[in-house]
Amino acid sequence: MDVFSSLMHGFAVALLPINLMACFAGVLVGTLIGVLPGIGPVTAMALLLPVTLSAPPEAGIIMMAGIYYGSMYGGSTTSILVNIPGEAASVVTCIDGHEMAKQGRAGPALGIAALGSFFAGTVAIIALMLVAPTLARWAIAFGPAEYFSLMVLGLTLLSFLTQGSMAKALLMACFGVVLGLVGTDAITAEERLTFGRLELLDGIGIVPVVMGLFGVAEILSNLEHKLGREMVKSQIGSLWPSREDWAASRGPMLRGTLLGFFVGTLPGGGAVISSFASYALEKRLSKTPERFGKGAIEGVAGPEAANNAAAGGAFIPLLTLGIPPNVILALLLGAFIIHGLQPGPLLMVQNPGVFWGIVASMYIGNVMLLVLNMPLIGMWVKVLKVPYPVLFPLILMFCIVGVFSSNAAVFDVFVMVLFGLIGYLMRKFGYEPAPLVLAFVLGPLLENNLRKALILSRGDFATFIERPISATCLVLAALMLIVPLLPALARKREVIALDSES
Amino acid sequence: METGDRKTIGSELWGGLVWLAFGLWVTWEGYTIGLGELHEPGSGFAVFWLGVIATGLAVTVVVSALANPSPSVSSLWRDTRWQKVMLVIALLLVFGFFFERIGFIPSAFILLIVLMRVIDPVPWTQALIVSVGSVLGVWFLLAKFLKIQLPAGLLAPLLS
Repeated sequence: MDVFSSLMHGFAVALLPINLMACFAGVLVGTLIGVLPGIGPVTAMALLLPVTLSAPPEAGIIMMAGIYYGSMYGGSTTSILVNIPGEAASVVTCIDGHEMAKQGRAGPALGIAALGSFFAGTVAIIALMLVAPTLARWAIAFGPAEYFSLMVLGLTLLSFLTQGSMAKALLMACFGVVLGLVGTDAITAEERLTFGRLELLDGIGIVPVVMGLFGVAEILSNLEHKLGREMVKSQIGSLWPSREDWAASRGPMLRGTLLGFFVGTLPGGGAVISSFASYALEKRLSKTPERFGKGAIEGVAGPEAANNAAAGGAFIPLLTLGIPPNVILALLLGAFIIHGLQPGPLLMVQNPGVFWGIVASMYIGNVMLLVLNMPLIGMWVKVLKVPYPVLFPLILMFCIVGVFSSNAAVFDVFVMVLFGLIGYLMRKFGYEPAPLVLAFVLGPLLENNLRKALILSRGDFATFIERPISATCLVLAALMLIVPLLPALARKREVIALDSES
Repeated sequence: METGDRKTIGSELWGGLVWLAFGLWVTWEGYTIGLGELHEPGSGFAVFWLGVIATGLAVTVVVSALANPSPSVSSLWRDTRWQKVMLVIALLLVFGFFFERIGFIPSAFILLIVLMRVIDPVPWTQALIVSVGSVLGVWFLLAKFLKIQLPAGLLAPLLS
């Protein structure tokens, strides 16, 4: 089947009423989550994961994917109007977006953010559609050694790009892998690290861990201080950008799309890094860089296009290699596994409906998002006015309901509270949760591939450096471990280092 | 800023020591589970080596903390509403204890009311309307519409 006929097959799947509903629910919730500060896409996806279990796999995955790219759209609204990023990828949009709003140009800022997101999102899907099948064919040749090394590279890269000490980030990755290994060993059926608790025999659930680390911990951190919001009082006005705005935004949108897509495909990369990189690039290329930070529309168009393109690009390593490049896609991997699917090179062959259905749903989702974001801005502004003392108890209740319904076990609620406390303390002591969660999801795969590679090579570690792809990944990972030891490069790392979900 | 010197142990050092203990424990657990052979790694192989790596990383954190003073643990919570944070954790634990015993609707209603009235008080009418509306809405959506089971508890005779 060629790409076109596969895509048509995908549209046939995506246009089924249940999948259309799932797509709409996903992008609607995603936009809402993006708009609301204090709850990120990871929490939202974990929250809705149990809801997707009663639906067919395609509908469940389509909805989860919709939440992800929907949140990228919605995040700009809060950044522009309230100067609080709805999600981390929109942090950079605050800089010029909010300045534009203060100058009475909230409309064009919101308009260019939505249109730039739509353009970048659509281009990213086309690229995903063209690149993924080729990469999947190539990835079939991957053995356990390659998979192990690629996962090591992904974890090292995420630790490298995480704010603060790299030793701490790597410690979190180790903690995450250990948590992922709790339960029964898949090869020997031996019990590990269960403290004799029956509830832990199947391992620790991803939903309570993620809800605790991101949902509950975020709320606990927010409660330490009263949250103030500086809402723009003036009228939003026309959303359609002027001719001058278009002329200024065309280049940044195009560059942001290309940059975002490329960064999104890298293990450890993602929407946050790409939006910052795009902002830096536009400022450097601008003839009037002094306008940046004072309401330059290029500072909104570029980063917004970049973070949406990155959201599309991030699907490539997940769908073709089965390796999530960031923590949000790690959760999506969890959703695939819970639905009995294994993303990777064989997904397109074994479950073409799922793969192409997701791709096609992303086209539909992008159109839905444009419709949701342009005319419904007024409604999102009203949502923003919900006071935090009313909002946080509701988020906590949704977290509890989500965790309980994922496994019908109150034990998971206690696990969530425990990880909420751990996550809160981690933030206080400067430990980032993103490497932990990615490592937690990758842990069992990492161990499995390590052991398989050693069994196949009869215990010869040289297998990891004799195979070119594996060796390249390990060399890159080693370089990233060395960089923080060199003071000049360490300073550069600090500049680009970010947490992907704080 | 109060920093960790000979009198106060800095937060970085405390954090490093906790992770050092964790790394050593994981190493020991991996060893007791069984390392196996290189050509046939056992269930404890990866656990053991992860423990070794975590221990090494924790040592670097501890050494760095000894060389560079960091804020004391108490200063991390200075000028924060940490009592409210502790209260929310306690409330969640109490909620978890009663969740299955009295059921979703009563326990979630009480949790919401308490959180809305105690942490940053909102008016009673607003708290009541939001609590009743959201609890019943969530219950209807999940239990009736999506067929996801939530404990009925005390209200089982009414809800069945």
